[in-house]
Amino acid sequence: MMYDLVSDHPAPRRRKRFRWSRILLAIYVLLFLLFLLAPITAVVAVSFSSANFIALPMPGLSLRWYERIVGYEPFLQSLIVSLEVAAISALAGLVLGVPAALWVARDRGVLARAIMSLMLAPISVPAMLLGFSLLYLLSAMTIGISFLALCITHTVVAIPYVARTVLAVYRSLPVEYEEAAAVLGASRLRILFDIVLPLIKPAIFAGTMFSVLMSFDNLSLSFFFGGAATSTLPVVMLSYMQNQFDPSIAAIATVQMLIAVLALGIVNWIYGIEKLTAA
Amino acid sequence: MSDETCPGVAPEEPAAFRRERSFRLASVSWAMPALIFLLIFLVLPLLANIARSLPLEDPFQHYARLLGDAYYLGIVRQTIKVPALTAVACLIIGYPVAYFMVRHAGRWNALIVFLLIAPLLTSTIMRTFGWTVLLGRRGLVNAWMSDFGMIDKAVNMVNTEWAVYLGLVHVLSPFMVLSVSSVLQGIDRRLEESAQILGAGRLRVFLTITLPLSLDGIATGCILVFVLASGSFLSMLLLGGGKVTTLSLLIYQQFTLTQDIGFAAAMGNVLLLLSLICMAIQLRFLRRRGV
Repeated sequence: MMYDLVSDHPAPRRRKRFRWSRILLAIYVLLFLLFLLAPITAVVAVSFSSANFIALPMPGLSLRWYERIVGYEPFLQSLIVSLEVAAISALAGLVLGVPAALWVARDRGVLARAIMSLMLAPISVPAMLLGFSLLYLLSAMTIGISFLALCITHTVVAIPYVARTVLAVYRSLPVEYEEAAAVLGASRLRILFDIVLPLIKPAIFAGTMFSVLMSFDNLSLSFFFGGAATSTLPVVMLSYMQNQFDPSIAAIATVQMLIAVLALGIVNWIYGIEKLTAA
Repeated sequence: MSDETCPGVAPEEPAAFRRERSFRLASVSWAMPALIFLLIFLVLPLLANIARSLPLEDPFQHYARLLGDAYYLGIVRQTIKVPALTAVACLIIGYPVAYFMVRHAGRWNALIVFLLIAPLLTSTIMRTFGWTVLLGRRGLVNAWMSDFGMIDKAVNMVNTEWAVYLGLVHVLSPFMVLSVSSVLQGIDRRLEESAQILGAGRLRVFLTITLPLSLDGIATGCILVFVLASGSFLSMLLLGGGKVTTLSLLIYQQFTLTQDIGFAAAMGNVLLLLSLICMAIQLRFLRRRGV
């Protein structure tokens, strides 16, 4: 816009060329978004197939694969395990991560830096290695393959997601709010609950949501702890896929997606999604 | 604490001095639970794993096997090659998208961001499985190609090296787009406009101004994609059909089949070393930027 005003060149000609490249770019972006959504759409479509095999286009429509997953116990059981683990590990991540992040954010010492690196490290450690090493450590502690072990493992990975967003938001807050409250005689606990937590709520929501989604989708950690009662949904799905190849995988994947969309919808309804992405 | 001036109008007070006196809500004890938890469940297992990979009788046998045997060395090479190529592919595919988002999308930007993040609501299994639905013998692409008479017989496009890259790029390219677009957003547009006023063509403006200024985003995105790709095995397992084996996949297979613990531990450490190198590179970039 601006360069049109000051340009020496004949403006209309350049603008036309400019618009062409822009339209081409827009078409490219549209194709890219289609590329992102294509496999997801394909899975949702196949879940309504009437065929015994996975084929697109489908010979007919039916809901039989949804009936099948309701009847197939491992799917439902592992779905419940997945939901429980995601909720517990996110909560534990909050309890451990938020206070630590509050201290680290306002301290510039060596210890604070070290703790910050340690809290963010689980994202960078290859998940296969972390799961593998934790399995042997927890076995040595006699909690080996158990629900507790699964929760501990997922908590290790939940901490960085929570800590990262809380750190960023709390650092950007001026300390004067807390100082003012302290001057006026508020206790630390009151400052925490009446001032700091409400201000960093978007960060807490965003971090929690991210850690829940990551836990819900996690395979590399969970599969090491997959006993009969402790298999998460991705683990059961993967082992099912290696034995059978029918559209029930598509149906359970669609259900899993709907749960995530629904959860996000509820958060949006309670809180407003634009505030989450602002964090 | 009874500071009557606000920071903007108190230039006589040195910043360091202020910080020292400023109110602290949290004390170091607030960080202790997280510290203890991570020492026990992150540091300890990784240290134990290093010990596990070095058996007493012949400490370096596993590493010697991993780096001496041609087969395993090939896998280590693949573990670097596949994530690196994936990062490059994500960059080439994702950069124009990020550029469009920041420069031209306007009110559509929010929708594009939403569509980039939305796949996170689906499981990686679903997204990877989707490609077998589209590309398999009975998939949509085969059906279309035979409709148009391009092929006589169904072609199996799954279980190829291409399919592995397709799956990885599909899952990881949003991370690249978001990394690049966040940096592009911060570029001062007046720099580009100045160059244009001085007579530089659009391509030259892009190559000499926009691209160099977005290098930080490119580096962050590449490292993120590289680390995530080197840690994943799903794409190789479901779309590779045994044609692409990386360390992550090998650990998965070793664990489920042979249970050679010491060797798996050594492979995990090599993976860790790779991601530590990535982190070191990233730290250098951050330091250069002065963060």
